[in-house]
Amino acid sequence: MDQSVAVQETLAEGEYCIIAVQGMLCEGDSRQSRLLGLVRHRLEHGGQEYALFLYTHRRMAITGDDVSLDQIVPVSRDFSLEEVSPDGELYILGSDVTVQLDTSELSLVFQLPFGSHTRMFLQEVARACPGFDPATQNPEFQWLSPYRCTELEPELRESQTQRRWNSAAGGSNFDDSRPNGKGLLGDQGSWGQDKPENVFTRQNKSKSDFTNMVRSSTITVSDKAHILSMQKFGLRDTIVKSHLIQKEEDYTYIQNFRFFVGTYNVNGQSPKECLQPWLSDGIQAPDVYCVGFQELDLSKEAFFFHDTPKEEEWFKAVTDALHPDAKYAKVKLIRLVGIMLLLYVKQEHAAYITEVEAETVGTGIMGRMGNKGGVAIRFRFHNTSICVVNSHLAAHTEEYERRNQDYRDICSRMQFCQIDSSLPPLTINKHDVILWLGDLNYRIEELDVEKVKKLIEEKAFQTLYAYDQLKSQVAAKAVFEGFTEGQLTFQPTYKYDTGSDDWDTSEKCRAPAWCDRVLWKGKNITQLSYQSHMALKTSDHKPVSSVFDIGVRVVNEELYRKTLEEIVRSLDKMENANIPSVSLSKREFCFQNVKYMHLQVESFTIHNGQVPCQFEFINKPDEESYCKQWLNANPSRGFLLPDSYIEIELELFVNKTTATKLNSGEDKIEDILVLHLERGKDYFLSVSGNYLPSCFGSPIHTLCYMREPILDLPLETVRELTLMPVQTEDDGSQLEKPMEIPKELWMMVDYLYRNAVQQEDLFQQPGLRSEFEHIRDCLDTGMIDNLSANNHSVAEALLLFLESLPEPVICYSTYHNCLECSGNYTASKQVISTLPTFHKNVFNYLMAFLQELLKNSAKNHLDENILASIFGSLLLRSPAGHQKLEMAEKKKAQEFIHQFLCNSP
Amino acid sequence: MAKKTYDLLFKLLLIGDSGVGKTCVLFRFSDDAFNTTFISTIGIDFKIKTVELQGKKIKLQIWDTAGQERFHTITTSYYRGAMGIMLVYDITNGKSFENISKWLRNIDEHANEDVERMLLGNKCDMDDKRVVPKGKGEQIAREHGIRFFETSAKANINIEKAFLTLAEDILRKTPVKEPNSENLDISSGGGVTGWKSKCC
Repeated sequence: MDQSVAVQETLAEGEYCIIAVQGMLCEGDSRQSRLLGLVRHRLEHGGQEYALFLYTHRRMAITGDDVSLDQIVPVSRDFSLEEVSPDGELYILGSDVTVQLDTSELSLVFQLPFGSHTRMFLQEVARACPGFDPATQNPEFQWLSPYRCTELEPELRESQTQRRWNSAAGGSNFDDSRPNGKGLLGDQGSWGQDKPENVFTRQNKSKSDFTNMVRSSTITVSDKAHILSMQKFGLRDTIVKSHLIQKEEDYTYIQNFRFFVGTYNVNGQSPKECLQPWLSDGIQAPDVYCVGFQELDLSKEAFFFHDTPKEEEWFKAVTDALHPDAKYAKVKLIRLVGIMLLLYVKQEHAAYITEVEAETVGTGIMGRMGNKGGVAIRFRFHNTSICVVNSHLAAHTEEYERRNQDYRDICSRMQFCQIDSSLPPLTINKHDVILWLGDLNYRIEELDVEKVKKLIEEKAFQTLYAYDQLKSQVAAKAVFEGFTEGQLTFQPTYKYDTGSDDWDTSEKCRAPAWCDRVLWKGKNITQLSYQSHMALKTSDHKPVSSVFDIGVRVVNEELYRKTLEEIVRSLDKMENANIPSVSLSKREFCFQNVKYMHLQVESFTIHNGQVPCQFEFINKPDEESYCKQWLNANPSRGFLLPDSYIEIELELFVNKTTATKLNSGEDKIEDILVLHLERGKDYFLSVSGNYLPSCFGSPIHTLCYMREPILDLPLETVRELTLMPVQTEDDGSQLEKPMEIPKELWMMVDYLYRNAVQQEDLFQQPGLRSEFEHIRDCLDTGMIDNLSANNHSVAEALLLFLESLPEPVICYSTYHNCLECSGNYTASKQVISTLPTFHKNVFNYLMAFLQELLKNSAKNHLDENILASIFGSLLLRSPAGHQKLEMAEKKKAQEFIHQFLCNSP
Repeated sequence: MAKKTYDLLFKLLLIGDSGVGKTCVLFRFSDDAFNTTFISTIGIDFKIKTVELQGKKIKLQIWDTAGQERFHTITTSYYRGAMGIMLVYDITNGKSFENISKWLRNIDEHANEDVERMLLGNKCDMDDKRVVPKGKGEQIAREHGIRFFETSAKANINIEKAFLTLAEDILRKTPVKEPNSENLDISSGGGVTGWKSKCC
């Protein structure tokens, strides 16, 4: 057992393998067996250094010839070997220990067997670590150099050996007899090419021709049953699957199949007799054969090398003795040392056997070795999951607790991986049908040998059964809970003198016992027979057989398809019902007679359906916002719980930015809003209406050509005049002579001149919103006589008018010129003279009015500075827009106006 | 070890004049039902339906569009990304058939170049009110090299066939990565590998 012996044989004198453990080197999905030896070297001047020697190995290492040095990892200061929990796996009691080996050069992950030996190994490694005490010298590991390639140049050695330690080198050709090459790291030229895994493949190939013939024969698993395990669609698939399981009874029916279950402890013998008396005599051809053996091979080689010729011998013997009335397909053979299980089905059933998995659990020495334990094959037969277990439990009459423990270990450690690796592994108990056979080794207690034999002679099996350990342990619920066993109507199957029907006459003179048993668990199982077969005399056990009728769920393809379709349809329906959906109280919005700066609001309600939803008005293609500039939805996005509602207000407001294009007909009160539901539908909302043109937002020259109030003009005329270019001078082409300044401007100024020259805080107090609308209407309809408003309101209207001019009084193109000559009154006057006529007129008119106001400054408290700052930013507007206006520019604009206020024209 | 899923999602679009029955065609296919009350679709609606074609599960996401003219500029923006477009007209409405060429131009302008198109002449149950002969539909379909079905959402004629055919046509030109052999192996334990032919 102690593999450190093999390691020791590879070491030089003075080096000592403290402990060795066999583990699996994990690299991605690959697993390779490695022998890990902790090696100590005593230094001449005292002290010691350690290294971890990693070997590939042949089978279980017994001598140095079985191992080949792969890597050396010096236990240096940066060395660490720590237990880690494997990614995404739940820790399972009794599972392998995963450890990570880290140094500054490499990082390796190993799986070490569960148990005290691994613990000891990890403790020893921990003890070997040099620690971080600065007082101790750094290990130099000079002693490792003989293990490395000696032919290298000294200066190259450092880097080369580093590399070599990290590479999977190996003298891998085990067939070569290497006279003294034990453990020397790779022969020159061979390392790195022939990797150890090749060796293992080679070994795997070494099956006899017989097996190869069987395995390569033409029958393969058809995919017919694949529909039962569709792996697609992720979550949706999982739902479909669970629905299919729930509705299983709708599309399956129970059909009985005959199962033959046999167990035979062959005591290390080779088959000498035909097995037909056991396997096929006197029965109808079964549909399924589950045949188990124990003690197939008792030799050390089988134990250590896990390889035995007996496997083929017995496989062939069984195959030859299967029922002659049917053709059988081998499904699986699984063996752990001497415990072997074979599964055959009738050829015509092969297509319905799916999801075959086989596993072994050793419960022997160290809780792992395979001299005791169990093997199992799980599969799906039609729609029923079946697990067959063959176990050989601990021996000796008094060891029944040990047997119970072996049973529990097999149950907990036997894990089958599932096709869908996201699912946890299957255990024995997760199957519809469990068939458990084997040499369970429970004995007859409290009776002396003679008494037992006497009862057997009398065929008083019922009396004898009362003393059966398995019976009492099951009754005490210590083992095989939930399992059933048929009545024992045959004499104990152990222990006979080989080749006879005589009870054991050896020195030990074992008491007879029902060691070999068959138990089952699950629904729709009927035992038809349970018997031993005295005719077979090869072993000191007699074989046992049991025939069952087992009800298996068989799929009716047509019903299955129907059920599946129904499920898919219901899922689609569910998914469709889960598409967010709302209802809108209104989808068409009409805004009548929209006026300048007059807010109109239309509201509607979004009622949500049954799915929480997130709504948002989204942009239409090639548009920068979800609606026109004069419109706003409030709120424009939000979240709705099921069955809740929200009111959305559509606010329509035309301001100076949008008015001109509405006057010109370039824009209309028309829009379509797209209300989008996240993951759901889109709703279109139509907005329509009409705009009443206003002098606000109309260009100066346009207004000059309008002798009539703007609302008295046909829309077409307003549009034409609005679109007329600003530079059009009076070329006589117009039918009517234009006015010098817009009449609306004159109306407001005249009103102020008449009523407000002495008004305190003029242009500094806000007007009334309602009065603005009145003023606007008076201007646009020409009802100037009706105008009666607060002076401040009219003053504000005048400012708003100037602000709404699409082209300011000082045209954009003249703006920079004005700023440049600000401070030079003559030059400034010169610039003004270049303005288009109507603009020039307006400018002069306003300056004259402002100067008139200044004459009354004693009353109205206005001065040049106040007026310059108010009108500066209205008359001179930067073509770049307000945002970019710097303080200096503002100042210059004020200064420019200031000059005209101080000087008479 | 985890199996790859070979799930496919096809986005289909229904277009055509208002009132030709696009919503009813979709409703028949998705819910196998018919509703006589006409509610004009004002916006974009969609439903999903899972079908199996050539052993592959395909999720069809079918978009139903507003047919009204005033929404055309908006609805064309939904063409992009559609893998299949069903162009529907009403055999009892000559105007809806005349507009087919306009709709086809719309597809050319706004849809993906390789979009799979199909022409449906709906309401074929109303033969007494027919104004568009079947041959005219066939002819325009032939001219444009697309498939044509006369359908009836009300009488459930050719609806499923039309959708499945369209999906198949899309599937045919969809490069599907075939599952490798490992994925086909249903029993990782090796499965049934031999059979006994003869007994002693």
